[in-house]
Amino acid sequence: MILTGIIFLPILFAIVLTIWPQQSTIRPLALGFSVIEFVLSLALLKQFDQGSSALQLVEQTTWIERFGISYFVGVDGISLMLVLLTTFLVPIIVLASWNSISEKIKGFHVALFVLQAAMLGSFLAMDAILFYVFWELSLVPMYFIVGIWGGSRRIYATIKFFIYTMAGSVLMLLAIIFMMTLTPEVTGGNISASLLDFYKLNIPFVTGDFFTPQTLLFFAFALAFAIKVPVFPLHTWLPDAHVEAPTPGSVILAGVMLKMGTYCFLRWVIPLFPEATEHYAWLFIAVGVIGIVYGALVAMVQADVKKLVAYSSVSHMGYIIVGLFAMNTYGVNGALYQMLNHGISTGALFLLIGMIYERTHSREISKYGGLAGALPLFTIAFIIVTMSSIAVPLTNGFVGEFLILLGAFEYSPAVAVISVTGVVLGAAYMLWMVKRVFFGPKGEIVTVAEHDKAHALHDLSFREMAVLAPLIVLIFWMGIFPNHFMNYSKASVDFLIQNKLNYQLSVVGPRAVSQNTAKVEEN
Amino acid sequence: MATTATTVTVGLADILLTSPLIVLFLFSLLPLTIKVLRKNVEQSPTATLIEALIGLSLAAALLIIFGAGESALTTVPSAFNGQLLFDGLTKWMGLIAIISAAGGLILMYENPATRGNQFSELIFLAMNSIVGMLILISAVDLIMVFIGLELMSLCLYLMIAMSHEQKISKESAIKYFVLGSFASAIFLYGVSFIFGSAGTVNIYELISQSAILVKTNKIFLFGTVFVILGFCFKVSIAPFHAWTPDVYQGAPTPITSFMATAVKAASFAAFLRVLAAKPLVGSENLFTVMQWLAVITMTLGNVAALVQTNLKRTLAYSSIAHSGYILIGLIAAGISQGSAFGAASVVFYLFSYGLMTFGAFAIVSLIEKNENSIVQTDDLAGFAKSQPLLAFCFTLFLLSLAGIPPLMGFFGKFYLFSAAVNEGLMWLALWGVLNSVISVYYYLRPIVVMYMKDGDCDIADISHFGTTVSVIVAAILLVVFGLFSGPLFDLIEKGLG
Repeated sequence: MILTGIIFLPILFAIVLTIWPQQSTIRPLALGFSVIEFVLSLALLKQFDQGSSALQLVEQTTWIERFGISYFVGVDGISLMLVLLTTFLVPIIVLASWNSISEKIKGFHVALFVLQAAMLGSFLAMDAILFYVFWELSLVPMYFIVGIWGGSRRIYATIKFFIYTMAGSVLMLLAIIFMMTLTPEVTGGNISASLLDFYKLNIPFVTGDFFTPQTLLFFAFALAFAIKVPVFPLHTWLPDAHVEAPTPGSVILAGVMLKMGTYCFLRWVIPLFPEATEHYAWLFIAVGVIGIVYGALVAMVQADVKKLVAYSSVSHMGYIIVGLFAMNTYGVNGALYQMLNHGISTGALFLLIGMIYERTHSREISKYGGLAGALPLFTIAFIIVTMSSIAVPLTNGFVGEFLILLGAFEYSPAVAVISVTGVVLGAAYMLWMVKRVFFGPKGEIVTVAEHDKAHALHDLSFREMAVLAPLIVLIFWMGIFPNHFMNYSKASVDFLIQNKLNYQLSVVGPRAVSQNTAKVEEN
Repeated sequence: MATTATTVTVGLADILLTSPLIVLFLFSLLPLTIKVLRKNVEQSPTATLIEALIGLSLAAALLIIFGAGESALTTVPSAFNGQLLFDGLTKWMGLIAIISAAGGLILMYENPATRGNQFSELIFLAMNSIVGMLILISAVDLIMVFIGLELMSLCLYLMIAMSHEQKISKESAIKYFVLGSFASAIFLYGVSFIFGSAGTVNIYELISQSAILVKTNKIFLFGTVFVILGFCFKVSIAPFHAWTPDVYQGAPTPITSFMATAVKAASFAAFLRVLAAKPLVGSENLFTVMQWLAVITMTLGNVAALVQTNLKRTLAYSSIAHSGYILIGLIAAGISQGSAFGAASVVFYLFSYGLMTFGAFAIVSLIEKNENSIVQTDDLAGFAKSQPLLAFCFTLFLLSLAGIPPLMGFFGKFYLFSAAVNEGLMWLALWGVLNSVISVYYYLRPIVVMYMKDGDCDIADISHFGTTVSVIVAAILLVVFGLFSGPLFDLIEKGLG
């Protein structure tokens, strides 16, 4: 029951908050709720058997019998850490929103908890339709978060975000329906939407012919996930959404939502369509590499700090795509690790930018300069997070990028060489930005602050330190002891890579009593 | 059939089977009779509404008890020499029509354009229109279909024209009347060709021969095409949809809701019965044309809705688009061999479509301040602040129309497209899903305006209890039947199988 608890507890929180009568206690209450959720997910970590590649803590109950659709959730090494990332970031976001969200506080927290439930559901769902429900449901609260609490062009950004994602995912729905009609072959006559039954399907792949089932299905799924990641050239919604979203929205978008796309490549695309993935890997590696370099180059010329970080996201997600499609142990392990790293470091960057924006109401790099003298603690935090973002050794980013580059080298040295230029460019734009914002001659903002008491700059408050401390601790922890985290995912990832052509997930209970139990045991 | 039906016997079973229709008719007379007895002084509209709702619930109950051959007294589910058939389709579609019509009546009671004097006449017409719908749904004889169609439509023309509103509704009543009569004439013309070539107009006698006749007999094909055209007009399939935006916009909102939900459901039920005679199986060309009609209808409805500023007109185009989705299911049902999957998906979709469309129009009706008010999408600004609950319900309706899970609208689309894929109509399903992406844009716009723009939109300062309650009920049903759509779908499929 723990997985159901993890998915639906946030919904319960949202309901409680909706009917909660007192406006003033909403924030502490929401913080408490999100911490409870995080503690529950730590209990999940405790119950998880890290040596096993099986799907664990499975729960399955029939939902729509006619179509073999069931409420089927389970966790394995691939999804475990992403679940924890989600539950870890939400309390931080709640705490960070105390300044940045000043109106409709109740609505914001309700949307946040619904979003959390939908994201957790997408990570844990093992039934195609259940997954699709959560996947689409996650759009709605995000749509409101950007649209209500966002910046001046928020409506344009939020509609673009919604339609882009929806456009990708409807083709996936059609692909799911089509695959469901194929399942009777492997289940002995019953239609099924279970991912485990999908894994058993043997969809013919014809090399070079585009209009064959596996290739079409591969692209239908891959398009949905590629838009979510986002892969170049489908990334254009991301800078808009990031820039217009309120700080908490940006953090959750960069931290978790983009990972839904990369995670689903691992969960759906690679094991379901191994031949097509292998055949078209060059395409994704190519757009991944282009994304790395393009994102970095565009980030370099941004005048707006937030936009700079948004484009750096495009670049970083390019690495993850390269790692995934290199399809070797280094690449995929690195990609999975980099998903967590990017969630933490980019999330932290957005939080820091939010904090400085609250003080100065400006994100123009040119107006800053010499901030280090005025805000020493803030500067230290920012530089640590920057180090993580540009993958300096001892920080988490280094481990992930290094593994991905190893994987890319194994795939093709040329890919690795081009990807490395992204590392150099990344260091260039981030450090250049840090130099212009924190050092050098005093900019307009610092000058005004020194002369005008009303605009004086205050260094990090205790609350803000509490927001940043866990992130900074994790940056070093994950950088120095990567095995503490990677051990949870290694078994599953290695199993996937070794058996990708005939991937079957075994299942470990506890599970709900249902008609489908017998079917599960056969596996 | 027409030649043998010279001796007509009416038994108890006939009366019992048609009891929903009889009850509806008797209850429709009640308010008028009281008015006559009171020397032209109308009873309170509340009493009229309550009587009508009692009549509708009685009819629904009788439909469930005696319909579908489930009662011992009515072993044969057909009444009056096989003219009216009370099978699972009649039961389910009848219930859907009655439920959506009941919603429409509640709106009429509280909308400024329809409340007030002459309310008993309006209810009389509405109830008789529902009788027409039930005839239309249960008819297996094309002449009976025509009678049902005309009874339903004639009442509707009058209802639109009776509005207190000054100009547009009269214009739309005339427009609807002229075009509707034209379509009815085409329908009847087609029926005459079918009778001439096949010797019968009974749909179930046609089943055995129509697949062959459409291939071999040009006259029969001609007749079939005309009958289908008549239906295409009624359910606003492009290019026969041109009346829909004008009439939906011009008619008083409660009547628009009545038309968009109950009338459309009834017409689709009869359409489904005609296609169940398998004309599509016989004629490859007809099959192709119908598929293109579905594609054109969806695309045209959605693209045209993108540029509308009037909320009712947007919903009218959305209703056209939804006709296109439903047509996909009809085609799947029309070519399937002995499976009720396609038909069940259509019925399920019509149910969900009825709930969400009713809900959307009910919100428009609540906002209308007087009989001449026009609600633009931008007028919704601030609605979420003044009416958080209603705005939330409206959001649910719109998201459900857009097909966002886990609402009922999503599962409706899922079943429709599954039925299409099941019959190998992958490309139709592809058009369907691509169209739902287009539709997202205009369904999101009212939500944007309600939640993200400042304004002072509020509901009109008149009684709104019934409407509010029915909106909330519809929203709850959309969520419940979304999360637990399986049992309902199974029930429908079993009923139709």
